[in-house]
Amino acid sequence: MEQKARFWKRVKKYRFIYAMMLPVILYYLVFSYVPLILGVITSFQKTRMIGAPAFAGPANYAAVLKSPVYGEAFRNSLAIGAGTFLVQFPLGLLIALALNEAGSRFSKSLVQSISFIPNLLSWTVVGGMWLSMLAPAGLVNQIARAVSGGSAPAVIFMSEQRYAQPIMVLSGAWKGAGYYAVLFLAAITGINPSVYEAAAIDGASRLRQIGTIILPSLRPTMQVVTLLAAMGVLRNFDQIYVMGNASIYPKVRTLLYLIYQDGIVDFKTGQATAAATLILAATFLFTFLTRRATGYDASYT
Amino acid sequence: MRRKSAFGNRLSPLPRLINRLFLAAVFLVMFIPMWNVAVLSTSTELSASAYGVRLWWSAPPSLEGYAYVFRVVNLLRPVLNSLFVSVVSTAVQVVLSSLAGYILIQREMPFQKSLTSFVFLTMMVPGDLTLVSLYQLNKRLYLVNTYAGLIVNGLISGFCILLMRNYFLSVPASLAESARIDSAGEFLIFWKIYLPLSVAGLATTFFLQFVGKWNELMLPASLISDQKLYTLPLVLKSMVMDSSSTSGTIPVPENAVMATVVISSLPLLLLYTFAQRYLLEGMTLGADKG
Repeated sequence: MEQKARFWKRVKKYRFIYAMMLPVILYYLVFSYVPLILGVITSFQKTRMIGAPAFAGPANYAAVLKSPVYGEAFRNSLAIGAGTFLVQFPLGLLIALALNEAGSRFSKSLVQSISFIPNLLSWTVVGGMWLSMLAPAGLVNQIARAVSGGSAPAVIFMSEQRYAQPIMVLSGAWKGAGYYAVLFLAAITGINPSVYEAAAIDGASRLRQIGTIILPSLRPTMQVVTLLAAMGVLRNFDQIYVMGNASIYPKVRTLLYLIYQDGIVDFKTGQATAAATLILAATFLFTFLTRRATGYDASYT
Repeated sequence: MRRKSAFGNRLSPLPRLINRLFLAAVFLVMFIPMWNVAVLSTSTELSASAYGVRLWWSAPPSLEGYAYVFRVVNLLRPVLNSLFVSVVSTAVQVVLSSLAGYILIQREMPFQKSLTSFVFLTMMVPGDLTLVSLYQLNKRLYLVNTYAGLIVNGLISGFCILLMRNYFLSVPASLAESARIDSAGEFLIFWKIYLPLSVAGLATTFFLQFVGKWNELMLPASLISDQKLYTLPLVLKSMVMDSSSTSGTIPVPENAVMATVVISSLPLLLLYTFAQRYLLEGMTLGADKG
C-alpha cells in the first residue's frame, strides 16, 4: 500500500515532464499507430466510393496474391533491390579501401566528397540527371557515337525493356556507393594503428594487412549494411516514380509504386492496404532471415 | 597517427599505381554526370539540344535556362514552398526530439521503459508502408493540399529522438546531480547543462532532417495536387516527365530542366560544404549496430 503511494508520488513529481511528452505521444498515436491499424482494417474491407464499408474477409489478400501485376512488381522489386545491392556493396567497399590507401589527403577528401554527394541529392535530381544522360541526344549516346566514329545509331534507352532494370541498378549504385564507402571508411578509421605496426614488424605487406586486418574488422559494418538493404528492398518508390515510364513499367514497376498507383491514384484502397500489409510482413521476414544469415545476432554483444 | 615511414604500412609501387587509377576512375564516373548537368544548365537552348559530347560549352555560356525557369515555370514559388516546409518542420523536429530524448533518459521516472518502447516501436514500421491509410487519415483531418499536411507528416522521427537520447546519455550524470542538489529545476538542467553539451547532436538532427524534408517526394506526391503548393521535387519531377514524354505538351527545354536540377541541389551542396562533419556523423550513426 505504502509502496503504491510512493509510486504515485513519483508519478506526480514528473507530471510536467509527462506534459512535455504529450505532443510526441499524440503525434505518434495519430500519425504512426492509427494508420497502421487503419491499414489493417481497410485491408479486410471492400472498397466502396460511397456508403459504409463492408467486410470483405481475406478477399483483398487473395486478389493481391493471385494478381499477376503484383507478382511482377514483387519480382521487379527484388531484382532491382538485390541487383543494386550486389553492385553497390563491393563498389562501396573498394572505394573505402582505396581511399584509405590514398597517398594525399586532398585526393582522399575530393574522391570521398564527390562519391558521397549523390547520396545527399533526391531521386528527382539524380533521376533527372540520368534521364538526360540516357536521352537520344544525351551523354551516353554521344560518347557511343564518338567512340564508334559516328556510326552507332542513337539508342532510346528509356523505352527499351531490356535496358530498364540494368539502368535502375546502375543509377541506384551510382547514388548509393559513396554512402557505403563512408560507412566502411568510418569503421576502418576505428582500427587501432598499433595492430598494423605489429603486423608490419612480422613482415606482413600492406596488401596482406588489408586482407587479414581491415577486411575482418569490417564484418559488423557489412552486417549492418546488408540488414539495411534487406529492410529497404521492397520499399523502392522515388527512383521508379521519377525514372519509370509506361513502356518499361513491366520491368521496373516496384511494389511500393504499384501500391501508390492503386491506393492513391486509383482509389483501390482495399487491395493497396492488403498489399502494404503483406510487404510489411515480408520485410519483417527478410530482416529476420538476413539477421540469421549474416550472423548479426550472434556477434552482437 | 600512423607513421608513414614504418615498413609495410604503405602499398608497394604497383598496387599503389592501381589504387590511384581506380580512384581516378571513381572520380570521373561520379564527376562527369554532374559536370554534364552544370554545362547543360548554363548552355543556350540550342546548344543544349545539339549533338556532340557536351562536357564543354559549344557556344558562350548563358543563363537562359535559369531565366526560363523563373519566368515561364515560376520556380520561385516552389523554391519558397520547399524552404518554408523544410525549415519549419526541421525546427519543430529539433525542439521536440531533444525534449523527448531528454525525457527518455530519466531513469527514475515511472513508465520510462514503456514510453521508450512506445517511441522506438514506431521505427520498426516504416512510414512509407502505411502510405495509403496515412493518406486517408490526412484526408479526414483536412490536411490534403495544405502546408500543414506537408509539415505535420513525419514531424517527429524516432531516429532523431534516439540520436538526441544518445547524446544526452553521454553527458555525465554527476553534472545534473550536483545541479539538483543546488535545487535547480528540471527544465533549467535541460537548458543549461544538457543542451549546451549536445550542440553537435542538435546540429546533426537539424541537417539530417533538413536534407530529408528538402528531398521528400512520396509524401508530397500523395498529398499535394494543387500546383500552388508544389515543392521543388514535385516540379522537377513533372518537368522531367514533360521533357521525356511524347504527349502534346510543349516540353521544357533541356537547359531549363538542368537549371532546376542545379537549383534543387545547391542548398544541399552548401550544407555539405559547411556541415559535412555533422552530416557524415549522423549518417554513420544511423547504421551503427545496437
